[in-house]
Amino acid sequence: MDYLYDGTFEGLLTCIYYHYKKENACNIFEKSSYQQSIINDFEIVETDANKAKVVLDAINNKISNEAYVDIYYCYLSDVENKENIILQFLVFAFKYGRNTMNFYSHEKVLPLNEASLKVFKEEHRFLGILRFSDIGGVLYAKFSPDSDLLVLIVDHFADRYKYEKFIIHDIRRNKAVVYSQNFWEVIENVNIENIEYSSKEKLIQSLWKQYFTGLAIKERTNIDLQFQFVPNRYRKNITEFNV
Amino acid sequence: MNDELLEKLKILSDAAKYDVSCVSSGVERKNNTVGGIGNAAASGICHTWSADGRCISLLKILLTNDCIYDCHYCSNRVTNNVKRATFTPEEVAELTIQFYRRNYIEGLFLSSAVVKNPDYTMENIYKTLELLRNKYNFWGYIHVKVIPGADPLLIQKTGMLADRMSVNIELPTKESLKILAPQKKIENIILPMSQINNEITRTIEDKKSFKSTPRFVPGGQSTQMIVGATADSDKTILNVSQNLYDRFNMKRVFFSAYIPVISSPNLPAVSTVPPLKREHRLYQADWLMRFYYFKSEELFTEIDRNLDLEFDPKIMYAFRNIDKFPIEINKASYEELLRVPGLGVTSAKRIIKERKNAELSYDSLRKMKTVLKRAQYFITVKGKYYGNTKLEPEAIKNELRFKEIQKQMSIFDYMQ
Ligand code: SF4
Repeated sequence: MDYLYDGTFEGLLTCIYYHYKKENACNIFEKSSYQQSIINDFEIVETDANKAKVVLDAINNKISNEAYVDIYYCYLSDVENKENIILQFLVFAFKYGRNTMNFYSHEKVLPLNEASLKVFKEEHRFLGILRFSDIGGVLYAKFSPDSDLLVLIVDHFADRYKYEKFIIHDIRRNKAVVYSQNFWEVIENVNIENIEYSSKEKLIQSLWKQYFTGLAIKERTNIDLQFQFVPNRYRKNITEFNV
Repeated sequence: MNDELLEKLKILSDAAKYDVSCVSSGVERKNNTVGGIGNAAASGICHTWSADGRCISLLKILLTNDCIYDCHYCSNRVTNNVKRATFTPEEVAELTIQFYRRNYIEGLFLSSAVVKNPDYTMENIYKTLELLRNKYNFWGYIHVKVIPGADPLLIQKTGMLADRMSVNIELPTKESLKILAPQKKIENIILPMSQINNEITRTIEDKKSFKSTPRFVPGGQSTQMIVGATADSDKTILNVSQNLYDRFNMKRVFFSAYIPVISSPNLPAVSTVPPLKREHRLYQADWLMRFYYFKSEELFTEIDRNLDLEFDPKIMYAFRNIDKFPIEINKASYEELLRVPGLGVTSAKRIIKERKNAELSYDSLRKMKTVLKRAQYFITVKGKYYGNTKLEPEAIKNELRFKEIQKQMSIFDYMQ
């Protein structure tokens, strides 16, 4: 049986619940991207917060909180077949319980670790390379991350810019997190285009750009290394690589 | 006005860029004041990488480059004919905040040439910090340079507002200092280092009794040494650095390959290539001493007072002590694993953890992402040796040289 879910984390956990309580899942897919197979039947799973909670508690109690974090991070990744990676991991982990995380390189564990590490790295990277601009007093940042990072990074900026208003816009997924006065929420289907910068904003961007360009020490030039740290696909949203 | 600011920033960031330390790590702080902006992340955050591949996390500038001193190696020296510029404390504070709000930076690294006299200069540095912390309520990271010779009281006041302070030692010996920085007295460098260390210890102690005591430079102190401007050997440099770690609790000693910008009879010719490889080897050796339990004697011999440039210090140690290898991955202690070239702390810990489940095979090492390029020559796995050559330094060196050539050729193929 293939289980199809609505793309939410709770939906995914509900599928895991059915895997144990109803019928084994061959695989789990997001509803909208499912290609019907000739071999397997499929069932659309209704997301159920209570059932999800049962699975979540089981992960925390029987495996570990560390495993829960890895699963959540894997879920946020853009790794192909991530649902299956999580399913395979959980089947293995519910057998080995608390010891699971010692099997770092096991074939049922490694893919999960790799996916979660990829998200973790990208999360940390964007704490640094996300760029805001001041648009009439609101700080606005746009980015196009591989993984779905909004909920992971927002708290960092909510503390840092506690008394500001800000928007972080994931242009790849058309959604944004909006923050004001200790409160944030994620909004779907967001489209923001053609932003006009004030002359002060332009001045500060060019000051930064000049500072950045001037910093490189000619004798040490190492463009390859720079590309390793700031891959090309990120550059179009980073002020100093444009303007 | 705007063009003037651009011009100032150009001059004063250009003059500061040779200072290598740009770390913002070691302080964890939330944004707790009303109307405050900023916090500090203990692990440090890189915001961008310049064309030389270095991490940029702080706005690194000089308050002024208008110096009364005449250090030979420095382009700000009084006898050099360069454009001079000076920021006001207000300008620096405003620039920092505006950069910080846009997430360009983690904070500020403020240094200065000595303008008028050390006290006057230090006073202006203090004013800048005072504005940032108390007027703008800025809680991001601040690293300041101490001006040697400034009033201890000013240093004390400034340190209460900063996250990290550094006094640059610049050169490892008195003799070198005398030749290249004649107006800098070694006492004026050592005294503030020891003052900073004492203040740090004192506020940590006070904090035990009074929770609210603010900490003096919670990120600790660091210093910097120039490499290659004088004839001092690597051994001398590392011994001095060891000494600084021990005596003053330095968080970091930075090395900076001398980039000849000036011609002087006492300095390497302007055409000299900066000793970047050497700088890299010094960092590796420093790392081995701080985190891998190596002693300075183990990295040098009576004759070799400089680190090898072709091979890293850890593999050179293994070559000199080849009789201690190979070691068995399934039996070796953590300390022994750390001595294997190519194995780092993460790999060593992972090996210890995983071999509790089952004896490790060569393949499982690979899967654990252990880099075996160098390690394979120094280990056995379940008793088997996997190096494709004899366990002899020269043979292994040739093998590694060959691999290096292969790597370069494949890069070459790729470019065509
Ligand atoms: S005191 Fe500092 S800025 Fe002045 S010449 Fe010496 S190194 Fe340069």
